[in-house]
Amino acid sequence: MQLRNRAAYGFLAPYLLIFAIFWIWPIISSFWMSFQNTRVNPWAFNPGMNWGRLFSDPAFYNALKNTMIILVIQVPVMITLATVIAVLLNSPLLKARGIFRFAFFAPVVVGEVAYAAVFRLMFNLDFGIINKLLNKIGIPSISWFAEAPFAMALLIIAVTWRWAGYNAIIILSGLQSIPEDVYEAATLDRVSKFKQFIYITLPLLRPVILFCVVLSIIGSMQLFTEPFLITNRGGPGGGTETLGLFLYRQGFASLNFGYASAIAYTMAGLAIVISLLNLWLGREPK
Amino acid sequence: MRFKSFCVTAIVTILGLSTAPALAQSGNITIWAWDVAASSLKLVLEDFNEKFPDIKVDVQDLGNQQVFDKTLAACAAGGAGLPDIVQVENFEAEIIWNRFPDCFSNLKDLGYTADIQAKFPEFKRTELEVGDVAYAMPWDSGPVAVFYRRDFYEKAGVDPASIKSWDDFIEAGKKIAAANSGVSMAQADFNGDSEWFRMLANEQGCGYFSTDGQSITINRPACVAALEKVKEMKSAGTLAAGNWNEKIQSSTAGTVASQLYGGWYEGTIRSNSPKLDGKWGVYPMPSLTADGPHAANIGGSALAISGTSENKEAAWAYLNHALGTNEGQVAMLKGYGLVPSLLSAASDPFISQPQPYWGGQAIWSDILATLPKIVPSRGTAFQGDADNIFKATQIKYFEGGYPDAKTALGDAAAQIASATGLPVAE
Repeated sequence: MQLRNRAAYGFLAPYLLIFAIFWIWPIISSFWMSFQNTRVNPWAFNPGMNWGRLFSDPAFYNALKNTMIILVIQVPVMITLATVIAVLLNSPLLKARGIFRFAFFAPVVVGEVAYAAVFRLMFNLDFGIINKLLNKIGIPSISWFAEAPFAMALLIIAVTWRWAGYNAIIILSGLQSIPEDVYEAATLDRVSKFKQFIYITLPLLRPVILFCVVLSIIGSMQLFTEPFLITNRGGPGGGTETLGLFLYRQGFASLNFGYASAIAYTMAGLAIVISLLNLWLGREPK
Repeated sequence: MRFKSFCVTAIVTILGLSTAPALAQSGNITIWAWDVAASSLKLVLEDFNEKFPDIKVDVQDLGNQQVFDKTLAACAAGGAGLPDIVQVENFEAEIIWNRFPDCFSNLKDLGYTADIQAKFPEFKRTELEVGDVAYAMPWDSGPVAVFYRRDFYEKAGVDPASIKSWDDFIEAGKKIAAANSGVSMAQADFNGDSEWFRMLANEQGCGYFSTDGQSITINRPACVAALEKVKEMKSAGTLAAGNWNEKIQSSTAGTVASQLYGGWYEGTIRSNSPKLDGKWGVYPMPSLTADGPHAANIGGSALAISGTSENKEAAWAYLNHALGTNEGQVAMLKGYGLVPSLLSAASDPFISQPQPYWGGQAIWSDILATLPKIVPSRGTAFQGDADNIFKATQIKYFEGGYPDAKTALGDAAAQIASATGLPVAE
């Protein structure tokens, strides 16, 4: 090895050491753990215990189903909303642009615990403002936390509220990188604003939107705080239990680290597969 | 060498002799507990400090989930950061002992003699002792009873003394709902809890696991009968839906005629509905047949001393005062409705006194009379797994996902077996 390389690795050593201890080692160790029976003392090698259980466990399929519902509904809704917000924020007609941009970005800055508490209050059955407003327009009160479909809707609303603005800011940066003269030429050719959006803006935004979609999918796969705090640990009756919550419960409530590791590897595998699928579907047309 | 080791032994002996009694008399101890339990630990401090003026006790009210989470984290860190005494809920206790057998002290080394052990009922001690080690001392228990609204029952012409079986309970429920509009007979938390099944199954002598904790018994006929009866009560409209908070709201608002819970629910009703003074009463839980068993337990806690405590003698002195004496346990019953599991407390004069809030009924003698009849129900280290699986099975069974209760519980037993590695009992 050359002296220069050696010096470089010397400087990198502290980082590499920390990376090895806190990243590489847990990844290897949890892989090994997923093949162990961690219900006995001392742990015993038994690959069928966790992996065999995973594929026949109704609770796992329930968590997977819930995560997929959130993924399939929430991500498209949020990205569409974010794109619309970004286009509006980019409009030259808009005054006080800085304030609006900050306002849409602000939810991400709010602490998760604080926003969860506020959502719980707003959606409270008897004195929450949402049910009060629904009553005003003649809709009876909805028991948001007691019925699974409504609890799921509530989660989707909450997550969308928190992350739509964040994605809008990313998409906005993509919008601003589209050169003005393309629109100018289209306007000269009498292409309507709507058609400009469909045929110019969207195709040119494709890489940015794809980036947002992949980030959101990974985020949804790991969704934990919202079902833990807003719908009270995945309630009602497991109706909003996500894979992240299921993993936590197996690992830290039941102290079954082997099974929790198997779930973690499954989640990571799913996230990779779905992201690759996305990149493939969204690839540049030839 | 020999001389040296002799010296060391001698010094240790002398130190040991001179410091042990002093330790019992002084020092600071810290306790983690929650809610009314923490309040009642503070309540007995005055009496305790009359006996032990130099022991300073700091009771910290952290909340139920926090105490459990922080205890597990501290045990995983080898006991670092644990206080001297920790409140442990009975059914979660074995999760801690199983995973961290050295995290808490063996109370037998501190003075928890066989005589003192015998002062507590068997069913409270099962989960707190592993082999020869006693990890915690029983505190309160939850002998189940029906808490009912006298006025609603009277209006429907129902005499609670005539309700002997759950079928009687269903019939009475129909009359009460008909006579009092907008009032349901009772409430159950079908979405977030399994309380009705656990109470009925325990009454019938069945539980998730066998008493030795070595096999799964949830598919036994007694458990099947309990689940069938719960569904029957749900279908008949006897049981309306309600979680913990909704039950309290309904009790206060007067939209429910009865609640089934452990004796500790007394304090909850009394403190949340002070305006209903004199309207509530208590009667024994019905059974599957009129002459069947009428006793069950739900809930209840214990106190354990951490292995890293520097003041174990002082901590033991406090434990023995608060939990091992009639005065300690009865004070907590008076103050916050914590039902003593100490058997001798049943003979305290307060127990047989009529309670003004309960319409002059001597509820405590009625409730405590069932204590010796309660069948032990083992939580085991897998309580959390089993309960989660059962709750999902119950929801599916109520929605018609299984042909009958036997199939439902057979499926639950198979799932618990694959989660825990324990065999299903023959």
